[in-house]
Amino acid sequence: MLKVENLQVYYGGIHALRGVNINVEQGQIVSIIGANGAGKSTFLNALSGIIRPKEGKISFKGKSLPQIPYKIVAAGISQVPEGRLVFANLTVKDNLMMGAYLRKDKHGIEKDLGKVFELFPRMAERVDQPAGTLSGGEQQMLAIGRGLMSNPDLILLDEPSLGLAPLLVKTIFEIIKDIKKLNKTILLVEQNAYKALSIADKAYVLEQGRIVKTGTGSELIKDPSIQEAYLGKTLKSYRSND
Amino acid sequence: MTAFMQQIINGLSIGSVYALMAVGYSLVYSIMNFSNFAHGGVIMMGAYIGFFLLTAFKLPFLIAFGLAGVGTGVLALVIERIAYSPLRKRNAPFLYFIISAMGASIFLENIVVATIGPTFKTYPRIFSPEPIAVGNLSIGRLDLIMCVISTISLAALIYVIEKTKVGTAIRATAYSVRASALMGVNTDQIIMIVFGLGGLLGGIAGVLFGMKYTVYPQIGFITMKSFIAAVFGGLGSLPGAVIGSILLGIIETLTSGYISSQYRDLIAFALLIFILIVRPIGLMGKTTEDKA
Ligand SMILES: Nc1ncnc2c1ncn2[C@@H]1O[C@H](COP(=O)(O)OP(=O)(O)OP(=O)(O)O)[C@@H](O)[C@H]1O
Ligand SMILES: [Mg+2]
Repeated sequence: MLKVENLQVYYGGIHALRGVNINVEQGQIVSIIGANGAGKSTFLNALSGIIRPKEGKISFKGKSLPQIPYKIVAAGISQVPEGRLVFANLTVKDNLMMGAYLRKDKHGIEKDLGKVFELFPRMAERVDQPAGTLSGGEQQMLAIGRGLMSNPDLILLDEPSLGLAPLLVKTIFEIIKDIKKLNKTILLVEQNAYKALSIADKAYVLEQGRIVKTGTGSELIKDPSIQEAYLGKTLKSYRSND
Repeated sequence: MTAFMQQIINGLSIGSVYALMAVGYSLVYSIMNFSNFAHGGVIMMGAYIGFFLLTAFKLPFLIAFGLAGVGTGVLALVIERIAYSPLRKRNAPFLYFIISAMGASIFLENIVVATIGPTFKTYPRIFSPEPIAVGNLSIGRLDLIMCVISTISLAALIYVIEKTKVGTAIRATAYSVRASALMGVNTDQIIMIVFGLGGLLGGIAGVLFGMKYTVYPQIGFITMKSFIAAVFGGLGSLPGAVIGSILLGIIETLTSGYISSQYRDLIAFALLIFILIVRPIGLMGKTTEDKA
Protein backbone atom coordinates (compact mmCIF):
# COMPACT_ATOMS: atom_id res chain seq x y z
CA MET A 1 0.00 0.00 0.00
CA LEU A 2 2.82 2.37 0.92
CA LYS A 3 6.21 1.92 -0.62
CA VAL A 4 9.13 4.17 0.22
CA GLU A 5 12.39 3.87 -1.64
CA ASN A 6 15.71 5.50 -0.89
CA LEU A 7 14.27 8.45 1.04
CA GLN A 8 16.90 11.11 1.72
CA VAL A 9 16.19 14.13 3.90
CA TYR A 10 18.52 16.94 4.86
CA TYR A 11 18.12 19.80 7.34
CA GLY A 12 20.65 22.18 5.90
CA GLY A 13 23.87 20.25 6.38
CA ILE A 14 22.36 17.57 8.63
CA HIS A 15 21.69 14.34 6.78
CA ALA A 16 18.66 13.15 8.76
CA LEU A 17 17.40 10.28 6.59
CA ARG A 18 20.01 8.31 4.66
CA GLY A 19 18.11 6.24 2.17
CA VAL A 20 15.12 4.76 3.98
CA ASN A 21 13.20 1.89 2.36
CA ILE A 22 9.89 0.79 3.82
CA ASN A 23 6.95 -1.26 2.69
CA VAL A 24 3.54 -1.20 4.36
CA GLU A 25 0.83 -3.67 3.39
CA GLN A 26 -2.87 -2.91 3.56
CA GLY A 27 -4.39 -3.70 6.97
CA GLN A 28 -1.09 -4.06 8.82
CA ILE A 29 0.30 -2.38 11.89
CA VAL A 30 3.86 -1.45 11.00
CA SER A 31 6.11 -0.09 13.75
CA ILE A 32 9.31 1.88 13.43
CA ILE A 33 11.37 1.96 16.57
CA GLY A 34 14.40 4.10 17.18
CA ALA A 35 16.15 6.21 19.77
CA ASN A 36 15.90 9.99 20.18
CA GLY A 37 17.03 11.73 17.04
CA ALA A 38 17.01 8.58 14.90
CA GLY A 39 14.81 10.37 12.35
CA LYS A 40 11.39 8.90 13.14
CA SER A 41 9.46 12.18 13.12
CA THR A 42 11.44 13.34 10.13
CA PHE A 43 10.30 10.24 8.27
CA LEU A 44 6.62 10.79 9.08
CA ASN A 45 6.87 14.48 8.23
CA ALA A 46 8.42 13.63 4.90
CA LEU A 47 5.48 11.29 4.22
CA SER A 48 3.03 14.06 5.19
CA GLY A 49 4.70 16.62 2.96
CA ILE A 50 5.79 18.85 5.85
CA ILE A 51 9.42 18.30 4.90
CA ARG A 52 10.51 17.92 1.31
CA PRO A 53 12.90 15.02 0.76
CA LYS A 54 15.95 15.62 -1.37
CA GLU A 55 15.67 12.23 -3.01
CA GLY A 56 13.50 9.16 -2.95
CA LYS A 57 10.28 7.69 -4.22
CA ILE A 58 7.06 7.40 -2.26
CA SER A 59 4.17 5.54 -3.78
CA PHE A 60 0.81 5.07 -2.14
CA LYS A 61 -1.92 2.78 -3.43
CA GLY A 62 0.13 2.27 -6.56
CA LYS A 63 0.44 5.96 -7.37
CA SER A 64 3.19 8.42 -6.69
CA LEU A 65 2.30 10.45 -3.56
CA PRO A 66 1.77 14.21 -4.00
CA GLN A 67 4.16 16.51 -2.09
CA ILE A 68 1.73 19.03 -0.62
CA PRO A 69 0.28 18.28 2.85
CA TYR A 70 -3.39 18.83 2.02
CA LYS A 71 -3.16 16.73 -1.12
CA ILE A 72 -1.58 13.94 0.91
CA VAL A 73 -4.49 14.06 3.38
CA ALA A 74 -6.86 13.96 0.42
CA ALA A 75 -5.01 10.93 -0.90
CA GLY A 76 -5.82 9.10 2.35
CA ILE A 77 -2.91 9.56 4.74
CA SER A 78 -3.29 11.40 8.03
CA GLN A 79 -0.76 12.05 10.75
CA VAL A 80 -1.17 12.28 14.51
CA PRO A 81 1.90 14.40 15.27
CA GLU A 82 4.37 14.06 18.09
CA GLY A 83 3.32 16.26 21.00
CA ARG A 84 -0.32 16.03 19.84
CA LEU A 85 -0.61 19.58 18.53
CA VAL A 86 -4.31 19.74 19.28
CA PHE A 87 -5.78 23.18 18.59
CA ALA A 88 -5.83 24.45 22.16
CA ASN A 89 -7.95 27.46 21.21
CA LEU A 90 -10.68 25.33 19.61
CA THR A 91 -13.29 23.15 21.26
CA VAL A 92 -13.03 19.36 21.18
CA LYS A 93 -15.77 19.28 18.56
CA ASP A 94 -14.08 21.87 16.36
CA ASN A 95 -10.80 19.96 16.64
CA LEU A 96 -12.52 16.83 15.40
CA MET A 97 -14.24 18.77 12.62
CA MET A 98 -10.86 20.15 11.54
CA GLY A 99 -9.84 16.54 11.08
CA ALA A 100 -12.68 16.22 8.59
CA TYR A 101 -11.79 19.51 6.91
CA LEU A 102 -11.54 18.15 3.36
CA ARG A 103 -14.67 16.03 3.53
CA LYS A 104 -18.02 16.99 2.09
CA ASP A 105 -20.03 13.86 2.97
CA LYS A 106 -22.06 15.00 5.97
CA HIS A 107 -23.36 11.50 6.71
CA GLY A 108 -19.93 9.94 6.61
CA ILE A 109 -18.60 12.64 8.93
CA GLU A 110 -21.41 12.03 11.43
CA LYS A 111 -20.75 8.30 11.28
CA ASP A 112 -17.03 8.70 11.88
CA LEU A 113 -17.70 11.14 14.70
CA GLY A 114 -19.80 8.40 16.27
CA LYS A 115 -16.94 5.92 15.87
CA VAL A 116 -14.48 8.33 17.49
CA PHE A 117 -16.84 8.80 20.43
CA GLU A 118 -17.10 5.02 20.73
CA LEU A 119 -13.31 4.72 20.88
CA PHE A 120 -13.02 7.69 23.23
CA PRO A 121 -16.23 8.09 25.25
CA ARG A 122 -14.58 10.85 27.23
CA MET A 123 -14.43 13.05 24.11
CA ALA A 124 -18.22 12.86 23.82
CA GLU A 125 -18.56 14.32 27.30
CA ARG A 126 -16.20 17.17 26.48
CA VAL A 127 -17.34 18.30 23.04
CA ASP A 128 -17.66 21.96 23.99
CA GLN A 129 -14.55 22.17 26.13
CA PRO A 130 -11.52 24.03 24.72
CA ALA A 131 -8.90 21.41 23.86
CA GLY A 132 -6.24 23.35 25.76
CA THR A 133 -7.96 22.47 29.03
CA LEU A 134 -7.81 18.70 28.47
CA SER A 135 -5.24 16.58 30.30
CA GLY A 136 -2.26 15.22 28.40
CA GLY A 137 -3.86 11.80 27.95
CA GLU A 138 -7.13 13.31 26.80
CA GLN A 139 -5.27 15.48 24.32
CA GLN A 140 -3.59 12.38 22.90
CA MET A 141 -7.00 10.74 22.50
CA LEU A 142 -8.32 13.85 20.83
CA ALA A 143 -5.32 13.97 18.51
CA ILE A 144 -5.91 10.36 17.48
CA GLY A 145 -9.63 10.96 17.05
CA ARG A 146 -8.91 14.03 14.96
CA GLY A 147 -6.53 11.98 12.81
CA LEU A 148 -9.29 9.44 12.19
CA MET A 149 -11.84 12.06 11.15
CA SER A 150 -10.38 12.40 7.67
CA ASN A 151 -11.28 8.71 7.26
CA PRO A 152 -7.73 7.88 6.22
CA ASP A 153 -6.63 4.57 4.74
CA LEU A 154 -3.26 4.96 6.40
CA ILE A 155 -2.77 6.68 9.76
CA LEU A 156 0.69 7.77 10.92
CA LEU A 157 1.11 7.82 14.70
CA ASP A 158 4.14 9.65 16.10
CA GLU A 159 4.93 8.44 19.61
CA PRO A 160 1.36 8.27 20.87
CA SER A 161 2.51 6.94 24.25
CA LEU A 162 4.89 9.83 24.90
CA GLY A 163 4.51 11.27 28.39
CA LEU A 164 1.58 9.09 29.42
CA ALA A 165 1.21 7.03 32.60
CA PRO A 166 1.68 3.24 32.13
CA LEU A 167 -2.02 2.48 32.47
CA LEU A 168 -2.87 5.05 29.81
CA VAL A 169 -0.12 3.71 27.57
CA LYS A 170 -1.82 0.36 27.73
CA THR A 171 -5.16 1.92 26.81
CA ILE A 172 -3.63 3.74 23.86
CA PHE A 173 -2.13 0.54 22.48
CA GLU A 174 -5.48 -1.25 22.92
CA ILE A 175 -7.05 1.56 20.92
CA ILE A 176 -4.46 1.19 18.18
CA LYS A 177 -5.55 -2.42 17.83
CA ASP A 178 -9.18 -1.26 17.70
CA ILE A 179 -8.27 1.17 14.93
CA LYS A 180 -6.81 -1.70 12.95
CA LYS A 181 -10.17 -3.45 13.26
CA LEU A 182 -11.77 -0.38 11.64
CA ASN A 183 -9.94 -1.50 8.52
CA LYS A 184 -7.17 1.07 8.76
CA THR A 185 -3.51 0.60 8.08
CA ILE A 186 -1.26 1.95 10.80
CA LEU A 187 2.30 3.19 10.68
CA LEU A 188 3.46 3.63 14.25
CA VAL A 189 6.64 5.31 15.37
CA GLU A 190 7.74 4.69 18.96
CA GLN A 191 10.50 4.78 21.49
CA ASN A 192 8.45 2.40 23.60
CA ALA A 193 9.91 -0.53 21.71
CA TYR A 194 8.35 -3.42 23.60
CA LYS A 195 4.79 -2.20 23.17
CA ALA A 196 5.35 -1.13 19.59
CA LEU A 197 6.88 -4.48 18.62
CA SER A 198 4.26 -6.55 20.39
CA ILE A 199 1.37 -5.13 18.38
CA ALA A 200 3.28 -4.91 15.08
CA ASP A 201 2.74 -7.18 12.11
CA LYS A 202 6.01 -5.88 10.79
CA ALA A 203 8.65 -3.64 12.29
CA TYR A 204 11.69 -1.65 11.33
CA VAL A 205 14.57 -0.39 13.43
CA LEU A 206 15.78 3.08 12.53
CA GLU A 207 19.23 4.20 13.65
CA GLN A 208 20.77 7.51 12.65
CA GLY A 209 18.64 7.86 9.57
CA ARG A 210 19.05 4.29 8.35
CA ILE A 211 16.92 1.18 8.61
CA VAL A 212 19.21 -1.33 10.28
CA LYS A 213 16.83 -4.19 10.87
CA THR A 214 13.42 -5.44 9.84
CA GLY A 215 11.19 -8.39 10.62
CA THR A 216 7.88 -9.30 12.18
CA GLY A 217 7.17 -7.83 15.60
CA SER A 218 7.73 -11.13 17.37
CA GLU A 219 10.97 -11.82 15.52
CA LEU A 220 12.42 -8.51 16.59
CA ILE A 221 11.29 -8.91 20.19
CA LYS A 222 13.30 -12.14 20.32
CA ASP A 223 16.34 -10.69 18.55
CA PRO A 224 19.19 -10.50 21.09
CA SER A 225 20.71 -7.30 19.68
CA ILE A 226 17.32 -5.58 19.82
CA GLN A 227 16.75 -6.85 23.34
CA GLU A 228 20.02 -5.38 24.40
CA ALA A 229 19.66 -2.04 22.67
CA TYR A 230 15.95 -1.34 23.00
CA LEU A 231 14.30 -3.76 25.38
CA GLY A 232 16.89 -4.22 28.12
CA LYS A 233 15.11 -2.31 30.80
CA THR A 234 11.71 -1.89 29.26
CA LEU A 235 11.06 -5.60 29.02
CA LYS A 236 11.34 -6.10 32.74
CA SER A 237 9.41 -3.02 33.68
CA TYR A 238 6.58 -3.83 31.30
CA ARG A 239 6.36 -7.42 32.46
CA SER A 240 5.76 -6.16 35.96
CA ASN A 241 3.16 -3.73 34.68
CA ASP A 242 1.21 -6.07 32.49
CA MET B 1 -20.44 66.14 31.97
CA THR B 2 -22.10 66.73 28.62
CA ALA B 3 -18.79 67.81 27.12
CA PHE B 4 -17.18 64.69 28.49
CA MET B 5 -19.89 62.44 27.05
CA GLN B 6 -19.49 64.25 23.75
CA GLN B 7 -15.80 63.39 23.72
CA ILE B 8 -16.55 59.76 24.52
CA ILE B 9 -18.95 59.55 21.58
CA ASN B 10 -16.40 61.07 19.23
CA GLY B 11 -13.84 58.67 20.63
CA LEU B 12 -16.08 55.69 19.98
CA SER B 13 -16.59 56.81 16.43
CA ILE B 14 -12.92 57.20 15.51
CA GLY B 15 -12.06 54.18 17.67
CA SER B 16 -14.40 52.00 15.63
CA VAL B 17 -12.55 53.02 12.46
CA TYR B 18 -9.22 52.20 14.13
CA ALA B 19 -10.72 48.83 14.99
CA LEU B 20 -11.42 48.15 11.31
CA MET B 21 -7.80 48.90 10.55
CA ALA B 22 -6.39 47.09 13.59
CA VAL B 23 -8.05 43.75 12.87
CA GLY B 24 -6.06 43.66 9.63
CA TYR B 25 -2.80 43.83 11.58
CA SER B 26 -4.07 41.32 14.10
CA LEU B 27 -5.33 38.74 11.63
CA VAL B 28 -2.05 38.63 9.75
CA TYR B 29 -0.06 38.61 12.97
CA SER B 30 -2.12 35.77 14.42
CA ILE B 31 -1.01 33.44 11.62
CA MET B 32 2.32 34.76 10.41
CA ASN B 33 3.71 36.28 13.62
CA PHE B 34 4.87 39.46 11.98
CA SER B 35 3.47 42.97 11.79
CA ASN B 36 2.40 43.74 8.26
CA PHE B 37 3.41 47.37 7.98
CA ALA B 38 2.22 47.47 4.37
CA HIS B 39 -1.31 47.50 5.81
CA GLY B 40 -1.11 51.27 6.28
CA GLY B 41 -0.36 51.65 2.57
CA VAL B 42 -3.37 49.49 1.76
CA ILE B 43 -5.59 51.67 3.95
CA MET B 44 -4.25 54.78 2.21
CA MET B 45 -5.04 53.26 -1.20
CA GLY B 46 -8.57 52.59 0.04
CA ALA B 47 -8.96 56.26 0.89
CA TYR B 48 -7.82 57.25 -2.62
CA ILE B 49 -9.94 54.67 -4.40
CA GLY B 50 -13.01 55.85 -2.47
CA PHE B 51 -12.16 59.45 -3.22
CA PHE B 52 -11.94 58.91 -6.98
CA LEU B 53 -15.01 56.72 -7.10
CA LEU B 54 -16.99 59.47 -5.40
CA THR B 55 -15.55 62.43 -7.30
CA ALA B 56 -14.51 61.27 -10.78
CA PHE B 57 -17.14 58.54 -11.13
CA LYS B 58 -19.77 60.04 -8.87
CA LEU B 59 -20.81 56.64 -7.59
CA PRO B 60 -23.29 56.30 -4.72
CA PHE B 61 -21.32 56.16 -1.50
CA LEU B 62 -22.22 52.60 -0.45
CA ILE B 63 -21.02 51.31 -3.80
CA ALA B 64 -17.85 53.36 -3.42
CA PHE B 65 -17.28 51.64 -0.06
CA GLY B 66 -17.81 48.23 -1.52
CA LEU B 67 -15.54 48.79 -4.50
CA ALA B 68 -12.81 50.40 -2.40
CA GLY B 69 -12.93 47.38 -0.10
CA VAL B 70 -12.71 44.96 -3.00
CA GLY B 71 -9.86 46.97 -4.52
CA THR B 72 -7.81 46.97 -1.34
CA GLY B 73 -8.62 43.32 -0.65
CA VAL B 74 -7.10 42.46 -4.02
CA LEU B 75 -4.19 44.84 -3.40
CA ALA B 76 -3.41 43.16 -0.06
CA LEU B 77 -3.44 39.79 -1.81
CA VAL B 78 -1.07 41.02 -4.49
CA ILE B 79 1.29 42.36 -1.82
CA GLU B 80 1.19 38.98 -0.08
CA ARG B 81 2.03 37.17 -3.32
CA ILE B 82 4.84 39.51 -4.31
CA ALA B 83 6.36 40.65 -1.02
CA TYR B 84 5.79 37.77 1.42
CA SER B 85 4.97 34.53 -0.35
CA PRO B 86 8.47 34.09 -1.82
CA LEU B 87 9.95 34.71 1.65
CA ARG B 88 7.59 32.17 3.21
CA LYS B 89 8.58 29.53 0.70
CA ARG B 90 12.20 30.01 1.72
CA ASN B 91 11.48 30.10 5.46
CA ALA B 92 13.12 33.52 5.64
CA PRO B 93 13.72 35.13 9.06
CA PHE B 94 11.07 37.54 10.38
CA LEU B 95 13.29 40.54 9.81
CA TYR B 96 13.03 39.97 6.06
CA PHE B 97 9.25 40.14 6.26
CA ILE B 98 9.39 43.43 8.14
CA ILE B 99 11.79 44.90 5.60
CA SER B 100 9.66 43.65 2.74
CA ALA B 101 6.57 45.16 4.39
CA MET B 102 8.27 48.53 4.76
CA GLY B 103 9.39 48.35 1.17
CA ALA B 104 5.84 47.70 0.00
CA SER B 105 4.55 50.53 2.14
CA ILE B 106 7.13 53.05 0.84
CA PHE B 107 6.44 51.88 -2.70
CA LEU B 108 2.69 52.51 -2.35
CA GLU B 109 3.20 55.92 -0.82
CA ASN B 110 5.59 57.00 -3.52
CA ILE B 111 3.55 55.70 -6.37
CA VAL B 112 0.70 57.88 -5.12
CA VAL B 113 2.98 60.91 -4.75
CA ALA B 114 4.33 60.35 -8.25
CA THR B 115 1.03 59.79 -10.03
CA ILE B 116 -1.63 61.65 -8.05
CA GLY B 117 0.58 64.13 -6.24
CA PRO B 118 1.45 64.93 -2.66
CA THR B 119 -1.39 67.37 -2.02
CA PHE B 120 -4.33 66.95 0.31
CA LYS B 121 -7.65 65.97 -1.25
CA THR B 122 -10.95 66.59 0.39
CA TYR B 123 -13.84 64.19 0.04
CA PRO B 124 -17.04 65.72 -1.33
CA ARG B 125 -19.62 66.44 1.33
CA ILE B 126 -22.04 63.55 1.37
CA PHE B 127 -23.75 64.04 4.70
CA SER B 128 -25.22 67.22 6.01
CA PRO B 129 -22.90 68.77 8.60
CA GLU B 130 -25.97 69.34 10.76
CA PRO B 131 -25.53 67.04 13.78
CA ILE B 132 -28.29 64.90 15.20
CA ALA B 133 -29.38 65.95 18.67
CA VAL B 134 -29.84 63.26 21.27
CA GLY B 135 -30.80 64.90 24.54
CA ASN B 136 -27.99 67.32 25.36
CA LEU B 137 -25.59 65.59 23.04
CA SER B 138 -25.12 66.18 19.38
CA ILE B 139 -23.84 63.42 17.19
CA GLY B 140 -22.29 64.23 13.84
CA ARG B 141 -23.91 62.38 10.96
CA LEU B 142 -20.54 61.27 9.64
CA ASP B 143 -19.52 60.04 13.09
CA LEU B 144 -22.68 58.01 13.26
CA ILE B 145 -22.08 56.54 9.79
CA MET B 146 -18.51 55.69 10.77
CA CYS B 147 -19.74 53.83 13.80
CA VAL B 148 -22.48 51.98 11.94
CA ILE B 149 -20.35 50.89 8.97
CA SER B 150 -17.48 49.84 11.23
CA THR B 151 -19.75 47.88 13.53
CA ILE B 152 -21.45 46.06 10.67
CA SER B 153 -18.12 45.23 9.03
CA LEU B 154 -16.60 44.00 12.29
CA ALA B 155 -19.68 41.94 13.10
CA ALA B 156 -19.45 40.33 9.66
CA LEU B 157 -15.77 39.56 10.22
CA ILE B 158 -16.39 38.06 13.65
CA TYR B 159 -19.20 35.97 12.19
CA VAL B 160 -16.85 34.60 9.52
CA ILE B 161 -14.08 33.86 12.01
CA GLU B 162 -16.25 32.33 14.73
CA LYS B 163 -19.05 30.61 12.87
CA THR B 164 -17.87 29.40 9.50
CA LYS B 165 -15.70 26.48 8.48
CA VAL B 166 -13.08 28.69 6.88
CA GLY B 167 -13.08 30.80 10.08
CA THR B 168 -12.39 27.68 12.15
CA ALA B 169 -9.54 26.87 9.79
CA ILE B 170 -8.19 30.41 10.24
CA ARG B 171 -8.24 29.98 14.02
CA ALA B 172 -6.66 26.54 13.74
CA THR B 173 -3.93 27.87 11.46
CA ALA B 174 -3.32 30.74 13.88
CA TYR B 175 -2.69 28.16 16.57
CA SER B 176 -0.41 25.94 14.48
CA VAL B 177 0.27 26.19 10.78
CA ARG B 178 1.78 22.71 10.76
CA ALA B 179 -1.07 20.98 12.57
CA SER B 180 -3.51 22.75 10.32
CA ALA B 181 -1.68 21.56 7.22
CA LEU B 182 -1.75 18.02 8.63
CA MET B 183 -5.54 18.28 8.81
CA GLY B 184 -5.70 18.94 5.09
CA VAL B 185 -5.97 22.71 5.25
CA ASN B 186 -4.40 24.51 2.33
CA THR B 187 -2.57 26.94 4.60
CA ASP B 188 -1.33 29.01 1.69
CA GLN B 189 -4.94 29.68 0.77
CA ILE B 190 -5.81 30.53 4.40
CA ILE B 191 -3.02 33.10 4.45
CA MET B 192 -4.38 34.65 1.26
CA ILE B 193 -7.89 34.77 2.72
CA VAL B 194 -6.56 36.48 5.82
CA PHE B 195 -4.77 39.12 3.75
CA GLY B 196 -7.87 39.59 1.61
CA LEU B 197 -10.12 40.07 4.63
CA GLY B 198 -7.68 42.49 6.27
CA GLY B 199 -7.36 44.45 3.04
CA LEU B 200 -11.13 44.57 2.57
CA LEU B 201 -11.78 46.03 6.01
CA GLY B 202 -8.72 48.27 5.72
CA GLY B 203 -10.07 49.79 2.50
CA ILE B 204 -13.45 50.51 4.06
CA ALA B 205 -11.66 52.09 7.02
CA GLY B 206 -9.55 54.15 4.62
CA VAL B 207 -12.65 55.63 3.00
CA LEU B 208 -14.13 56.50 6.41
CA PHE B 209 -10.84 58.01 7.52
CA GLY B 210 -10.60 60.05 4.33
CA MET B 211 -14.14 61.33 4.79
CA LYS B 212 -13.48 62.32 8.38
CA TYR B 213 -10.17 64.06 7.70
CA THR B 214 -8.59 64.35 4.25
CA VAL B 215 -6.70 62.14 1.85
CA TYR B 216 -2.94 62.40 1.43
CA PRO B 217 -0.11 59.96 0.76
CA GLN B 218 1.08 59.77 4.39
CA ILE B 219 -2.24 58.46 5.70
CA GLY B 220 -0.56 55.08 5.81
CA PHE B 221 1.80 56.30 8.47
CA ILE B 222 -0.87 57.99 10.56
CA THR B 223 -3.07 54.91 10.49
CA MET B 224 -0.20 53.10 12.09
CA LYS B 225 -1.92 54.28 15.25
CA SER B 226 -4.34 51.44 14.69
CA PHE B 227 -1.32 49.17 14.93
CA ILE B 228 -0.73 50.68 18.36
CA ALA B 229 -4.30 49.80 19.19
CA ALA B 230 -3.73 46.23 18.05
CA VAL B 231 -0.61 45.97 20.22
CA PHE B 232 -2.49 47.58 23.09
CA GLY B 233 -5.27 45.01 22.85
CA GLY B 234 -2.80 42.19 22.21
CA LEU B 235 -1.55 41.44 18.73
CA GLY B 236 -3.19 38.41 17.24
CA SER B 237 -6.40 38.77 19.23
CA LEU B 238 -9.46 40.13 17.40
CA PRO B 239 -11.41 41.17 20.52
CA GLY B 240 -8.15 42.68 21.75
CA ALA B 241 -7.77 44.71 18.57
CA VAL B 242 -11.32 46.04 18.85
CA ILE B 243 -11.08 46.93 22.53
CA GLY B 244 -7.62 48.45 22.09
CA SER B 245 -8.91 50.57 19.21
CA ILE B 246 -11.94 51.89 21.06
CA LEU B 247 -9.74 52.78 24.04
CA LEU B 248 -7.22 54.49 21.75
CA GLY B 249 -10.03 56.48 20.08
CA ILE B 250 -11.31 57.65 23.45
CA ILE B 251 -7.84 58.48 24.79
CA GLU B 252 -7.20 60.51 21.65
CA THR B 253 -10.37 62.55 21.77
CA LEU B 254 -9.96 63.16 25.49
CA THR B 255 -6.41 64.38 24.85
CA SER B 256 -7.62 66.69 22.08
CA GLY B 257 -10.51 67.89 24.16
CA TYR B 258 -8.80 68.48 27.49
CA ILE B 259 -5.12 68.96 26.68
CA SER B 260 -4.43 69.86 23.08
CA SER B 261 -4.88 68.11 19.79
CA GLN B 262 -1.17 68.65 19.19
CA TYR B 263 -0.44 66.10 21.91
CA ARG B 264 -2.80 63.54 20.42
CA ASP B 265 -0.31 61.49 18.40
CA LEU B 266 2.46 62.06 20.90
CA ILE B 267 0.36 60.45 23.59
CA ALA B 268 -0.69 57.61 21.29
CA PHE B 269 2.90 56.67 20.47
CA ALA B 270 4.02 57.14 24.08
CA LEU B 271 1.28 54.70 25.00
CA LEU B 272 2.73 52.15 22.57
CA ILE B 273 6.17 52.33 24.14
CA PHE B 274 4.66 52.15 27.60
CA ILE B 275 2.67 49.01 26.76
CA LEU B 276 5.63 47.33 25.16
CA ILE B 277 7.55 47.90 28.38
CA VAL B 278 4.97 46.92 30.99
CA ARG B 279 2.83 44.35 29.23
CA PRO B 280 4.22 43.31 25.87
CA ILE B 281 1.46 40.83 25.16
CA GLY B 282 -1.20 43.54 25.49
CA LEU B 283 -4.60 43.19 27.12
CA MET B 284 -5.55 39.85 25.55
CA GLY B 285 -2.61 38.92 23.34
CA LYS B 286 -1.38 35.48 22.50
CA THR B 287 1.87 34.77 24.28
CA THR B 288 4.88 34.87 22.07
CA GLU B 289 8.51 35.76 22.34
CA ASP B 290 8.69 37.35 18.94
CA LYS B 291 6.92 40.66 18.64
CA ALA B 292 8.56 41.87 15.48
N1 LIG C 1 13.90 21.40 11.95
C1 LIG C 1 15.09 20.80 12.10
N2 LIG C 1 16.23 21.46 11.81
C2 LIG C 1 17.43 20.86 11.94
N3 LIG C 1 17.61 19.61 12.38
C3 LIG C 1 16.51 18.89 12.68
C4 LIG C 1 15.20 19.45 12.56
N4 LIG C 1 14.31 18.52 12.95
C5 LIG C 1 15.03 17.43 13.27
N5 LIG C 1 16.35 17.66 13.12
C6 LIG C 1 17.44 16.70 13.36
O1 LIG C 1 17.19 15.53 12.59
C7 LIG C 1 17.45 14.36 13.34
C8 LIG C 1 16.22 13.50 13.42
O2 LIG C 1 15.22 14.15 14.18
P1 LIG C 1 13.77 13.57 14.43
O3 LIG C 1 12.95 14.62 15.09
O4 LIG C 1 13.25 13.02 13.18
O5 LIG C 1 14.09 12.39 15.45
P2 LIG C 1 13.09 11.41 16.20
O6 LIG C 1 13.55 10.05 15.86
O7 LIG C 1 11.70 11.76 15.92
O8 LIG C 1 13.47 11.69 17.71
P3 LIG C 1 12.50 11.74 19.01
O9 LIG C 1 12.30 10.33 19.43
O10 LIG C 1 13.32 12.50 20.00
O11 LIG C 1 11.23 12.42 18.63
C9 LIG C 1 17.96 14.84 14.69
O12 LIG C 1 19.36 14.82 14.67
C10 LIG C 1 17.47 16.24 14.80
O13 LIG C 1 18.33 17.03 15.57
MG1 LIG D 1 10.15 12.41 17.03
